[in-house]
Formats: sequence, structure tokens, C-alpha cells
Amino acid sequence: MKEQVVCKTSDLQPGEIRESFFGKQNIIICRTQNDNFYAFMNQCIHQGAPLGKSLLCGATTGESTPGDYHYCHKDEVIRCPWHGREFDMKNEGRMLANPDKKLVSFKVRIENEDVIVYK
Amino acid sequence: MAKKQIPLIDTDIHERVQYKDILEYLDEPFKHYMKNCHWIQEKHMPYTQPATAGVDRADAILPDGRPAGSDLAFMQEQLLDDVGHEFGILTGALDPSPSSMHGWYEMAAALATAYNDWQIEHWLEKDERLYGSVHIASQDRDEAVKEIERVGSHPKMVQILLPIDDIMWGDPYYHPIFEAAEKHDLMIGMHHNEPPVYYGKWPRYFIEWHTLIPTAHMKIIVNMIFNGVFDKFPKLGLMMIEGGFTHIPHLMWKMDQQFRDLRHEVPWLKRKPSEIMKEQVRITTQPAEELTKKEFMSLIDQMGTDEMLCFSTDYPHWDYDSPYRALPNMEPELKEKIFSENARAFYPKLPDKRED
Repeated sequence: MKEQVVCKTSDLQPGEIRESFFGKQNIIICRTQNDNFYAFMNQCIHQGAPLGKSLLCGATTGESTPGDYHYCHKDEVIRCPWHGREFDMKNEGRMLANPDKKLVSFKVRIENEDVIVYK
Repeated sequence: MAKKQIPLIDTDIHERVQYKDILEYLDEPFKHYMKNCHWIQEKHMPYTQPATAGVDRADAILPDGRPAGSDLAFMQEQLLDDVGHEFGILTGALDPSPSSMHGWYEMAAALATAYNDWQIEHWLEKDERLYGSVHIASQDRDEAVKEIERVGSHPKMVQILLPIDDIMWGDPYYHPIFEAAEKHDLMIGMHHNEPPVYYGKWPRYFIEWHTLIPTAHMKIIVNMIFNGVFDKFPKLGLMMIEGGFTHIPHLMWKMDQQFRDLRHEVPWLKRKPSEIMKEQVRITTQPAEELTKKEFMSLIDQMGTDEMLCFSTDYPHWDYDSPYRALPNMEPELKEKIFSENARAFYPKLPDKRED
């Protein structure tokens, strides 16, 4: 499986997640507010939660200091539906609390209205 | 490929009642207070919710919007059938939660009665795998004992649920509760409660409170052991639910060392505290600290027994532990103990292993 059209861009709105298949692999497609598309395996690397039920949201950042929150990444963070672990879509799906760990990701490109996933 | 089923005895499953569902089980005037005066149990956790769906798994909320844990069929599909549970022990709701009422003992007692009847009718008698906890308004000891006498002999009630809160349950005032438990072959299950465990207050952040929950568990174990509960009630067992387990070796070492120095103050203890724990205290695994296999096996070694830990999922809460992923791989014999046999040996009213 080199590449595959998994859906149309109009199948999901900005800030939404959609489940799909890339070959036999259950994946999620995420669309940010800036209309960037990302694809990841539909399984949290922690305990296997279905990421299709995640929330796309912002996150407090490491620039925060005690008593002073700094918030950004609007709709660019996947928050797991079980334990709430945060994964940065724009940074290869790396976990905010432990960037050595990252979601299994796939490449995505848009051609016309097609969302194409490839390795 | 279908995943492998695990014949689990799950020691912490949260069924959830909704106020409208419990109304028909409430006596007057308490029904009136709930229905006409819109009573709800006030909780004041001053934090953002920990995860994306409050304190629940986002995927456990029902498709029609009802709260996680409120529908048996959905629980069967998502948990019991999916994992392959042999048995599950129900440990109750968030609110209304009769076991953790503060004040207004009359309402708490009425709520406990209603809750137990609702639990029996809608869960225990609807799925043979599910066993229950007797809820009591334990601040009012005598009413609590009456409620244990009322429902404690139900064949599917396996424990009495007490909150880990601001009451030290080892105090002799509460011993009639343990006496009633022994009489009905019920164990004591203790689960932490929402109100503070932090010097009587909430800490500044949720993460502090949640990290320190084991300290509240430790206080209860120490209190009950040194107040002689387990020597006075030798058939009694205590299941400490949802505090994790890595604090256990420390607690056993610490109590034994203190006992060697200070035995004169608690001369009624007939056994070392660690021996009492090994014989009468059990610990559920969730939320499992993420140990490597080497670390996990070392911890079991430090406990001096592999018969204390009992697996729990905490379904449907946000910090659910997957039976497939939460603990490291282990030998089949040990896995069988932690995932089922330790709990089976602990609860006298759980059936023997089924011969299918």
C-alpha cells in the first residue's frame, strides 16, 4: 500500500477528526483550523485508546511559568479520549509531556479535493 | 484479528445512576427533596476536569448522550464482552453518591437504600457477571448497620463500600459496621472520594491531589491495622481501590519497623503489620504506575507475596487501565493470580472458577 485516497477534504470540517482505513490500518485524519491535514494510526501509543474519539484542541505551552499560563497550538493538539495525553500534530505527533514518544503517523497530501495518505 | 479474551475479575467498575432513575426508589420526603426541591449533591472540585470528557472516557459516553456507565448494554458491549470478564465488582457512582455524603445523614441513609435497590434491580440481577457493593450512610453508624442487615445477605453483594475521606474507619465507633460485614461474608471496599485528602483542603492543582491519593489510602490502612480491626475481625478483608500499588512495600516496611519500636502502645496486635496486610488487605492495580517488567517483578518481590494485587480497570473513568496494556507481561501463573484468582480468594461470595 503506497498511497490511497482516504476521503474528500469536505468530509471533515476544520477542527474535526475522521476515522478511515489506509489499507488494513485503521487511521485518523485530522483537519486543523488552518486547513492542514494530518494522519495517524487510530490507536494511542499509551494504552491503545481509539484516537478517533480524541479532541483537537490547543494546549498550554512550556513557555508558561508558575501562575502564568501560556496557551497556543489552536486545534493542533490531539488529546487522547482516555488519559488526556497530548500529541502535537505539527511536530510528528510527539507527546507534549514526553517528546521522545510519538504517534504512528502517515504522510498526507491534497490533490484537488482528495485527501491522499501515503508512507 | 479478534483480540484475545481475558477472563478477568475486575475489582473496580463504576456503574452510574442518574437522579431521575433513582427517584422511584426513594422514600418520602426525600423523593420530594430531589424531585420538587431539585436537591443535588454539591461537589466543589476547584479544577478543570482532568480529561476531554470530564472524569469519563470520551468513548464511554453513550451515543444518545447519556453519561458513561449509565447503561448496562453499552457496558456489556464495550467492556464485559469485549475483554471477556468473568466477573466485575461494581463500585458505584459519582453523584448522587450515598457513601460520600457530607452532612444531612437522613438524606444519605435514604439515598443509600434507594441506591442499593436500584443497583440490585438494574445491574446485579441483569448480568450474572456483575457483583455489587453495599452503599451505606456510614456517618450514621446505626442506620448503616440496618442497611447492611437489609441487603447484605443478597447473594451478589460482596462488599461494603466506605469512602476514603475525613473519617478514620479504625475507630471503635465504627466496629459494628465490621461486625455486620463479617456476619454477611462481606468484605470492606474503600475508594477515595472527591473531597480533600490534603490537610483538609484541596491542593493548588489537580495533579497534586491525584498524585497524593495513595497517601489517603495509607492513612486508612495504618489506622485500621493499629486500631486492631483485623485482629478483632479475623474474617474481615479490606480492598483498597484505586490508589495504585507502588506504595505498598514502603508501608509494610514502615509499619513493621515502627511496631518493633512502639509495640507497647498497641499491644492488641497479634501479628506484624505486614503479616496482617498479606492476610487481610488487598490492593487494586489501577491507576497502574507504568513499570517495566523488571520494576514490576521487583515490587512483587518487595511485597513478599504475589497474592495482594487485584486487577481493576476503573471503567468508564478517564484513567481507565486496559487489561491488555496497563501491566507489563508476566508469567501465566502470576497473571492468573493478579487478573482473577487473588480477587476470587478474597471475596467469599464470588463463585469458584466456572468449568466451561
